[in-house]
Amino acid sequence: MQTIDEFARLVREELGIPLADGDLAADLDRLPEWDSLYMLKLVTALERTTGRKLPVGRVLEVRSLEAIYQLAVKP
Amino acid sequence: MQSPPDRDPAQVYLASVGTALPGDPVDNATLAKVLKVNEEWIDHFIGTRTRHFARDLGTGTVRWSLADLCAQAGARALAASGVDPAEIGFVVLGTATPDNLMPATVNHIADQLGLDQVPTYQLQSGCAGAVQALGLGRTLIAGDGHRAGLVIGGDVCSKHLDLNRDLADAAPSDLVNYVLFGDGAGAAVLTAEPAAEAVALRRVLNRFTGLGREPGQVIDWFGLADRYEDRQAVREDYKAIEEFVPVMAVEILWEMLGDLDWSAEELDYLLPPQLSGRMTRRIHEELDVPGAIEVSCVADTGNNGNALPFLQLERLLGQMSSGQKALAVAVESSKWIKAGFALEKI
Repeated sequence: MQTIDEFARLVREELGIPLADGDLAADLDRLPEWDSLYMLKLVTALERTTGRKLPVGRVLEVRSLEAIYQLAVKP
Repeated sequence: MQSPPDRDPAQVYLASVGTALPGDPVDNATLAKVLKVNEEWIDHFIGTRTRHFARDLGTGTVRWSLADLCAQAGARALAASGVDPAEIGFVVLGTATPDNLMPATVNHIADQLGLDQVPTYQLQSGCAGAVQALGLGRTLIAGDGHRAGLVIGGDVCSKHLDLNRDLADAAPSDLVNYVLFGDGAGAAVLTAEPAAEAVALRRVLNRFTGLGREPGQVIDWFGLADRYEDRQAVREDYKAIEEFVPVMAVEILWEMLGDLDWSAEELDYLLPPQLSGRMTRRIHEELDVPGAIEVSCVADTGNNGNALPFLQLERLLGQMSSGQKALAVAVESSKWIKAGFALEKI
């Protein structure tokens, strides 16, 4: 996974969340269904895909999927 | 709401408590490695540090059955009570995870403890089962004239800990169960006269409040005809639980204090519902009885269902002194059962 499009596909496939336009940049609270367990599923999927551990403390500070993507590809 | 049919029955006492947790505690680093999920996340969102499993995490082999754990806890409670096993008039078990549907696990426990020719009861129940067992035990002594009895609660949640499963496919309502639960058992000896710890069981609350409400938690079971159906074995509506359990806990606290004619200031100890380290911290804050000492265990034991109130009781008895009062609150989110009990040391 390198590009933001590949990240969006991973979110759709692994989490089963249909992403609408603008959802990647939206505040996580505005995503329907989003909660801490979806966060765990995403972190787990990203760690498996990238082979790197994600800094959960920093992941929790960011407010959008796009920002999580940035952390995953540029640790 | 109907008032509870509890017209101050003859006094019943808690003589002793015994517990059993299988094997060594499993910390978050070990669990995270086995489940291939992030350890920090478990620390942060579940807030449970350790739990115990009857199943070997490496091999999946069952090391202890529910009956084994309950019999260990029962034997410890009996030894601590000083009550002659021949005086035990009944055995009650509350569990959501029996070893078999038949024989009822309570009978295997009685067998392991060498008890015979006594009435046995098994209550199929989630988190409220331990309270229901205490309630039934109290009734059997106060109403049926037994001198002493053994009440037990226990669960082996690791029956559903499928170590070969790829959790990437798990729904959040399924995934949460892998990080919340543990196994264990607890038991108490109830007596008609003060003995050993001599703690009076002042009141027991057990009320179904789930009319027309969707269950917050479902544990399915499978038989030969449906075992290959693609159904989720354990489902937890954790959002409903997060929303309703704290509210119900506060309602239980104030209802019980009112029925007992106790003020919150009189409470020396409070035993809040044990969901997870994080949820229990939050509920305890909302219960807001700053003068009472919190007695919790879930952050160390994991959520082992019907064992929890006994594990809390064990911690309570170690510090309770004469004249002190304690109140326990439990919520079973399966079909929304309110439960609790009140104690006063003689």
